[in-house]
Amino acid sequence: MSSAAKEFLRNAAKKSADLTHRQTLRRNIDHYDAAIERARPRFLDWQAGRQRCHEIKWEAINHLDRYLVEFEERVRARGGHVFWAETAEDARRYITDLAVRNGVRTVVKSKSMVAEEIHLTPALEEKGIQVFDTDLGEFIVQLRNEPPYHIVTPAMHLTRAQIAALFKEKLGGDGGDDPQKLVAVARRALREAFFSAEMGITGVNFLVADSGMVAITTNEGNDRLGTALPRIHVAITGIEKMVPRLADLALFWPMLANSGTGQSVTCYNSLIGGPRAPGELDGPEEFHVVLLDNGRSELLADAEQRDVLHCIRCGACLNVCPVFRTIGGHTYGATYSGPIGSVLMPHLLDGEKFDHLPFASSLCGACTDACPVKIDLHHHLLHERRNIVRAGEHPWSERTAFKLWRWVMMGAGRFAFLGWMGRATLRLAYGLGLEGSPLDPLHLWTKVHRAPRIPKKSFRALWKEQHEAD
Amino acid sequence: MKQTENPGRERILARIRAALREPAPMHTASGAPRSVFAPVTDALARFEKECAGNHTELVVTPDMNAAGIAVASVLASLPAGEIFVQDAPALRRMAPAWPQDSKLHWSHVPLTGSEGPAETSQATITLGETLVAQTGSVFVSAACGGRGASVVAPVHIVVAGIEQLVPDLDAAFARLNERGAPARNSFLCLITGSSRTSDIEKIMVLGAHGPRRLVVVLSHLWE
Repeated sequence: MSSAAKEFLRNAAKKSADLTHRQTLRRNIDHYDAAIERARPRFLDWQAGRQRCHEIKWEAINHLDRYLVEFEERVRARGGHVFWAETAEDARRYITDLAVRNGVRTVVKSKSMVAEEIHLTPALEEKGIQVFDTDLGEFIVQLRNEPPYHIVTPAMHLTRAQIAALFKEKLGGDGGDDPQKLVAVARRALREAFFSAEMGITGVNFLVADSGMVAITTNEGNDRLGTALPRIHVAITGIEKMVPRLADLALFWPMLANSGTGQSVTCYNSLIGGPRAPGELDGPEEFHVVLLDNGRSELLADAEQRDVLHCIRCGACLNVCPVFRTIGGHTYGATYSGPIGSVLMPHLLDGEKFDHLPFASSLCGACTDACPVKIDLHHHLLHERRNIVRAGEHPWSERTAFKLWRWVMMGAGRFAFLGWMGRATLRLAYGLGLEGSPLDPLHLWTKVHRAPRIPKKSFRALWKEQHEAD
Repeated sequence: MKQTENPGRERILARIRAALREPAPMHTASGAPRSVFAPVTDALARFEKECAGNHTELVVTPDMNAAGIAVASVLASLPAGEIFVQDAPALRRMAPAWPQDSKLHWSHVPLTGSEGPAETSQATITLGETLVAQTGSVFVSAACGGRGASVVAPVHIVVAGIEQLVPDLDAAFARLNERGAPARNSFLCLITGSSRTSDIEKIMVLGAHGPRRLVVVLSHLWE
């Protein structure tokens, strides 16, 4: 087992036993669940919407070369720049060089998971540039020197009391935990940064091929300030965020909002196609789009798992995942957590250290049901396990155990005999009062759970009896 | 301006093209294509309902005079300070109805630098491109007073005519495309309610970075 896998298991055990953490997480996700339940009836046919999204993303991803070139041409025609980054290092270097060349001292950044993926903030800070995360949740975790906890709700793990204490320490807040006042404190702290920054960096929710625009979604409007006021706007995105037509957003915007937060649409859905055009009042003088590959083209080559690139990063699969709901976001130690992270992370460059993540799933399928673009997530988790086992080493004991299990399962008599033996042994052990003790054959289970009731008869015996009775 | 050098471009495109040689499976739909959303039958009624739900203050007025008075009453409720106004004939015509002491800052394209509301503006007044009944939204563009006009001040007032109201997002994109708005503007935005955040314990707070109040003044007649 790799050291990353061991650390994951250690942290997972610790976090699942941290009841305060679980309560905070639970309260957040309960709010989310309630919002989704209220919001879903806005769709006449949610399943038809998922199918349509799947078809549109399929079209975009399976003709990605053509759409990327179309997008690039249109951005350039408006005087924007498009940079193709093969690796995280390429993207970091392009953006830091651009900032240094322009004498940038302050950057206002709105939410971008790709910026996290390439570790952009530390690279800019190394050049003496101050970076302000302007999404409230990201601003909070930045003050705590933490990565975002969740791709949509970065400070999901914190209570308002913790945030109040943080603001008091770092921003001179008065320690009151009224969310309205806390938001006002953050707004004041960031206002100055917005008006003095020379560069705004944003993520991208959709790349629109036919109009050469990037679509950016926020509720707070921080992206709006960051793309209106600074002199340079850099939009950073994975190559896969493509949709073919502007009109496709008539479906994708509501689907994203409904799955992400239970809103009908998010407050601000901006479309930006270039720098300020002649005759326009304001806007940046320079507009740069950084298209990041970083392993995505390798994933594209896997036809079986290609639709992992259909993801619109709504976060629904995280919220419904029993594993995420227990261990939380930071435990994954990955930019993208939850089911989508577990299938995506191993494919990104340097992704081998995340090969244990596809195994951290019960394969219950809740993620697949929740996905608004119909990614077959739980089967991909299984495919990924198969690929990892095929490619890598797995212990002799595991191989032998599975061979033995297969041999038992392939013979009805063997299966019945072992079932009988198991029941008899457990009844004997529990008769002797060994339940939960180290001598309990089910010790691994019963040290934290009550033992199951041991039936007298096998399922097959019961079935036979009932059918003979009918 | 010098174009960006792109040593990685051809390599990325070559990898994508090689990757796509093998086709990927597509989930197939069962039965005939179905509608995702119920059709909007009464656009104005739906727009009113959605605005109420997303905290947009909607004032429906019979004509532009009444619209001007509705804007005036919003301005009268604000603290003293700059009001940034998109320089559009419709707004110029209604300005005489606004409070005499309003410090109006009419937008104009500057020779150098950029032009937008001051950091301390109390409100901005702009037109919109189109209104969407399905979601209770306003589509604005760079032509509606610029990028900052709909986000910098604590109050954003949009003045629109009823003929700009369309039933749903499909119709909104059709209208924008018909009028060439995406080609003419470097910026468009679908605004739905006022700025908000739920990042603290999922409790909603209005007025995060953008306006706390979004007011739509809708006129049945547009002179």
